[in-house]
Amino acid sequence: MLRFVVRRLGQTIVTLLAASFLVFVLVESSPGTVARKMLGPFASTEQVQMLYESLHLDDPLMLRYVRWLGVLTGVVADPLGDPALKLGFRDQRGERYFGNFGFSTQMKQPVSDVLWERLGNSLLLAALAVAVIIPLALAMGMVAAINEGSVVDRAVTVLGTVLASVPEFASGVILVSILVVTLGWLPGTSPLLPSGRWPVYIQFILPVAVLALFVTAYVARFVRTAFVEVLATPYIRTAILKGLPPRSVIFGHAFRNAMIAPFTVILLQVNWLLSGVVVTEVVFAYPGIGRLLLEAALFGDIAVIEAATLVAVFLATLTQFIGDIGYMLLNPRIRL
Amino acid sequence: MATRTALTAVLNEKPITAKSGPTRENDMSERDKTHPYLKSLYAQLESRRIGRRDFLRTATLLGMSAGAAYSIAGISPGLISSALAQTPRKGGTLRIAARLGDIKDPHTYSWGQGAFIRQSLEYLTLTGIDNVTRPLLLEKWEASPDLKTWTLRIRRDAKWHSGRPLIADDVIWNLKRALDPKTGSATVGLMAGYLLERYDTGEVDDKGKAKFSRRLWDANAIEKVDDYTVRLNAKVPNLAVPEHLFHHQLFMLDPADGGEFKVGANFTGSYQLVSYEQGKRAVMQARPSYWGGAPHVQTLEFLDLGDNASAAMAALAAGQIDAWPAVDNSSLDAVKTLKDVNVYEAQTANTGAVRVRPEAKPFDDPRVRKAMRLAIDCKSVLDLGIAGLGSVGEHHLVSKSHPDYGPIPALQYDPGAAKKLLAEAGYPNGIDSEVYLKSAPAWESQVVQSMVEQWREAGIRIKMNPVPSTQYWEVWKKVPVGFTDWNHRPLGIMLLGLCFRTGASWNESGYSNPQFDRLLIEAEGKLDINERKAAMGKLQTILLEDGPIIQPVFRSIFSAYHKRVKNFTMHPTNYYWYKDVWLET
Repeated sequence: MLRFVVRRLGQTIVTLLAASFLVFVLVESSPGTVARKMLGPFASTEQVQMLYESLHLDDPLMLRYVRWLGVLTGVVADPLGDPALKLGFRDQRGERYFGNFGFSTQMKQPVSDVLWERLGNSLLLAALAVAVIIPLALAMGMVAAINEGSVVDRAVTVLGTVLASVPEFASGVILVSILVVTLGWLPGTSPLLPSGRWPVYIQFILPVAVLALFVTAYVARFVRTAFVEVLATPYIRTAILKGLPPRSVIFGHAFRNAMIAPFTVILLQVNWLLSGVVVTEVVFAYPGIGRLLLEAALFGDIAVIEAATLVAVFLATLTQFIGDIGYMLLNPRIRL
Repeated sequence: MATRTALTAVLNEKPITAKSGPTRENDMSERDKTHPYLKSLYAQLESRRIGRRDFLRTATLLGMSAGAAYSIAGISPGLISSALAQTPRKGGTLRIAARLGDIKDPHTYSWGQGAFIRQSLEYLTLTGIDNVTRPLLLEKWEASPDLKTWTLRIRRDAKWHSGRPLIADDVIWNLKRALDPKTGSATVGLMAGYLLERYDTGEVDDKGKAKFSRRLWDANAIEKVDDYTVRLNAKVPNLAVPEHLFHHQLFMLDPADGGEFKVGANFTGSYQLVSYEQGKRAVMQARPSYWGGAPHVQTLEFLDLGDNASAAMAALAAGQIDAWPAVDNSSLDAVKTLKDVNVYEAQTANTGAVRVRPEAKPFDDPRVRKAMRLAIDCKSVLDLGIAGLGSVGEHHLVSKSHPDYGPIPALQYDPGAAKKLLAEAGYPNGIDSEVYLKSAPAWESQVVQSMVEQWREAGIRIKMNPVPSTQYWEVWKKVPVGFTDWNHRPLGIMLLGLCFRTGASWNESGYSNPQFDRLLIEAEGKLDINERKAAMGKLQTILLEDGPIIQPVFRSIFSAYHKRVKNFTMHPTNYYWYKDVWLET
């Protein structure tokens, strides 16, 4: 087990390095320079050139990448924090510390000042969504599987297909136009600040609903398929013929075996919920990491893109790790 | 007769009594010497050689107070809305959607950031919704007869939040800082023509070419006369100096703050910034000791809802915000259906134009450029491109709403003539090219799309190449054909100077026409309104025949406010001030 953890940790670090390097290369090849974006359209070429040089954007790619790694690990200070540049960049945490993602050129403040709060918001949104999705999906899937071929089953399947094929930007707008504009029951945006007569907790309802609509139906279909398969196996038939009560058959015998496939799907969805809910966050102006990443990508704010990417990759490997542990618990035949 | 009395009072250098006009501006002392041209201006008004609006604008620029000018012209300012009949209510919180970017350096703000900081920081002057420029932090100004020397008199009652009066040293420090190329303010481009000169820095760049920069043309260009008087000594005449002092970046900052603005910085305006969370929320509190009288609304709360129009729309519908100052055209119909919301419209000279670079074929031939104008039916672009939300353009950036519009006949849509001109220029089979444009906002693509369709009928085959806006600003002065948007400015001639003067930094087409440049300088120094309009007419005609742009429409802009927000007026630049606004319970 310990060996597994160490090996997995090593893999994670390699993955993180590879991902961060790829992002560096990709941002490099995107059109428009950060210096131009910082100064705006009407700055003169000389001004852009001056900023370009003071941002060290003319250094070779490899040098900048290695320097970025040095800043991240706290070995060197970020050259942008040099007061002589008059960029006004200052980090209260000091010049060198582990986990220093540098300065955001768009927001002109340390990435650490914005990243963790945004990440926390996204985790909260994901946790709430998961708390809605898992019980709902399990219930829908199991009810459908137990009543295979019935009207209930058909209804779950049809509803699932329809909901899973409505993209979030559409369902978001539809929910807003019904619940906010027409009925006036809910607030239309979720900046997580008390605004108007709406307390903050009510602002979670719509974003969570949009995510839940999209994911629940999808997961429920997996749960249904897995249950149908397990319910058809001989040991379940035996259990039923032995006269065990249905509740005991379903939860005592079928559940664990049926959960292996849906568990994988759920973990993938959790991973997506943690870092990929860009659309939902933008539609509801939710201050999460997805919206942060989108704005940084449009601007070419490499420090923020790198930070958000690393966090996303780290979360992905983390959920994968949890997944492996989960398989072991679900299926005793798997050994790590 | 009232008008005669007011004028006599002004010209005889006597104070005007409050009775002579409807506004409090009349109370101000008019004792200081007046511009000699005012008499002639009045004579022209009397003999109906110029209109009342023309009189107003020029008289106020020459230093007459707006109140006096209005009463002489015999019209009501129409600014003090009927809402004043009600008693304003004090207190409450106004919530506004805004983008909250970096606010450190006001002298380099783009249009968006200034929007909410304008509640706190102020300009020396203010161009009102009626296009008339009034003193704000100034008490008044005087222009010399040759329009080269401008004396700016600072209000004696304007106080910083710290309690210190605003003095000449503050104003001079701000002007010099904004005019220093190192600061990076666009003020340089605006005032370079009359206050700055180009010089060789003595340094060379990587390619060995000498580096040039700009500096004040004379050590005495910005001169301190006394603690409350600043004099601008320009190298060439310019009538629009007070309008330039309203430039969107030319805020008055406390020199002690070193050009930086943040929570706790000093300011002269009506609201104090008390908290600022970038990208999230800004809170401002009313300043009871504001020199212009305490504002009505107690708290202003600005929320950053991102660029997505549907978020702002939903927030407005749910009552999470009371104000959406920049309503997106695509949301306009939806916003109009909200029953508790007032939608305000401002007709502006805000526009966008396709421009070609005349340096290369086929655009080097003026006939090709004119053919491109003839092939466009502006009315149809107005309807298709911006759903009729604006007015037709005339291909020279000058709008009929500009006070200096030269009355010349508009070019009529004539695809047949366009084809003929193309054939004469040696392109009987038409021409092919590609137009660069920004992929957002949507109205720009729609306008270009409708133009491209019309061109095709005349044999002008232009492909659309939309690129992200940040990428567009990298190439906007280089591409052979490009579509650029232009913000509203109070004067047509300001745009002509920015866009078409040889070598001007925003002359994206590289247009260079010595005759045009000569006429432009002439027009800039013309005091006589009819002469200036005639000069503008000539400039506009040159652009119709020879110019590098095709400009089919002017846009209206919109803002949405909850009905409980009272006494709001929309400014054509979409600048907003909340000091006169109040909230109904």
